[in-house]
Amino acid sequence: MKRLGLIILAAVVVIAAAVAVFLFKPASLPDVSVAQAALPTGQALIDRGEYLARAADCVACHTTSGGKPYAGGLAFKLPFGTLYSPNITADKETGIGNWSDAEFVRALHQGIDDQGKNLYPAFPYAAYARMTTEDALAIKAYLFSLPPVRADAPGNELVFPFNQRYVMRFWNLLFVPSGPLQPDPQQTADWNRGAYLVEAMAHCGECHTPRNLFYALDSGKTFAGAELQGWKAYNISSDKRTGIGSWSDEQLTDYLSKGHAEGRGSPTGSMGEAVDYSLRHLTPEDIKSIVAYVRTVPPQVSSDQAIVEADPPTLKASTAYAPATDAAAQGGLGLKLFQGACASCHGWNGEGLQTPYAALRGSRTVNDPDGTNLIQVILKGAHMTTPTGAQTMPAFANAYSDVEIAALGNYVLAHFGGKQSAITPADVAKARTQ
Amino acid sequence: MIALNVNGQDRSVDVPDDMPLLWVLRDVIGLTGTKFGCGIAQCGACTVQLDGQPVRSCVLPVASVGTRHVTTVEAIGATPSGKKVQQAWLDLEVIQCGYCQSGQIMSASALLERNPNPSDSDIDAAMSGNICRCGTYTRIRAAIKQAAKA
Repeated sequence: MKRLGLIILAAVVVIAAAVAVFLFKPASLPDVSVAQAALPTGQALIDRGEYLARAADCVACHTTSGGKPYAGGLAFKLPFGTLYSPNITADKETGIGNWSDAEFVRALHQGIDDQGKNLYPAFPYAAYARMTTEDALAIKAYLFSLPPVRADAPGNELVFPFNQRYVMRFWNLLFVPSGPLQPDPQQTADWNRGAYLVEAMAHCGECHTPRNLFYALDSGKTFAGAELQGWKAYNISSDKRTGIGSWSDEQLTDYLSKGHAEGRGSPTGSMGEAVDYSLRHLTPEDIKSIVAYVRTVPPQVSSDQAIVEADPPTLKASTAYAPATDAAAQGGLGLKLFQGACASCHGWNGEGLQTPYAALRGSRTVNDPDGTNLIQVILKGAHMTTPTGAQTMPAFANAYSDVEIAALGNYVLAHFGGKQSAITPADVAKARTQ
Repeated sequence: MIALNVNGQDRSVDVPDDMPLLWVLRDVIGLTGTKFGCGIAQCGACTVQLDGQPVRSCVLPVASVGTRHVTTVEAIGATPSGKKVQQAWLDLEVIQCGYCQSGQIMSASALLERNPNPSDSDIDAAMSGNICRCGTYTRIRAAIKQAAKA
């Protein structure tokens, strides 16, 4: 009996020691010399890095609104606390100016900083792990070619045990792939390029794929849509009804490269940023590859009710300048607000009066009975750089009350999406805090 | 250089693509009848017409005008409905301070062009985006109706 106890004790000690080694063994550095030798030098390398940094959309998270590019400080509110993106300019004290090539590659591939400490996966290293070492080094060369910015990001505010960085080692073991994405020989070169851009660079799944219990991407529900920071990232799987399966190639291409697709509306919120900062800068060939790949992502039927009604009777009965006479006569707070604040740009027939970017017909945002993104865009407005200049929608958060914005939201969903909705002033109040 | 047709005249202006049309009209071409109000398409003071359709020139990037003809308040009197609207405005003394009125006239004449006999709700739908700080709304409505009869 005594002996059995000793064996169990020994086993516990051995396991505890193994776990301790796993958690606290200093991280080793990868050998990047082969990749370094394969790269061009000088401006050619920086240009390649600039394109890739845009494809990976680094700037979206590493810049605050109105702040200097790549200087960090943007807050990420998560269920376990708030994280702030770090400064990734080449400033030696507050940025990554002292990082070696190997340390930078390790950060992108394994989520470990220059000191060997674990980073948090709000930084999408589980996606960047699929990036080639060459591409990672080109991005570093570009970042280091920019003027260093001195800026300390605020410290993270996480609750225990998530404030213990070594805990991430378990997460990494489970959820971080190792090595770059390998081409699928069964598929075309186009498709493989698209897969690389979507999975290793643009990290679309970080928003569009729901998360599991461990807050990692649920690989069984790729691109099924998710909600984060008060916005919905819609289903972009090939499902015809709830995904993008019924979009034409031209619509997908226009949406990604111009920020508007005929009959599909325009992206706002984080997707508007993704187009503005990243996707619109990609070559037509790369956009074509992304479309080819995204089309083949297996359909995921989501429970989301944002089903687009392409041509609701309310729109058919409207002209660009007025709703149907009987509808106008009914009045109502929502209609009055739309009339005064929205109609001069959006028009009443869904085609957009001022610009096609204001066309609402077919947009999921005006077809989602939850009104999630609709409330957000009314509160916060939208901004996008387009081939014909900047397109801007003002923010109405300070202009109208919760009651008014709820009424406006319900009116817009009924008129442009043919949807019965029940947005309440409390929903608007909650959205204001997100 | 960007090519524009303003009030029937071909112009060529050397401005950035995303400069709002309003700035081009006022500061570059010198047509100051169109006013800057809010700058975010909420007040209507900057309304001009593109091929007869009212637009808010303060948020319209000049590059998106293309080949469409721009009409401003300086030339709206040369159109049939613009002439009637301006006469009705004078007859009923619609204007108080006048700052919003070039925009009101541009929206009203566009309304009459597409709808020669507008109802009250048609007028509401067309004119709600044009705000008047002096509250001349009732005279605006009356003047539109008078212009429709003229």
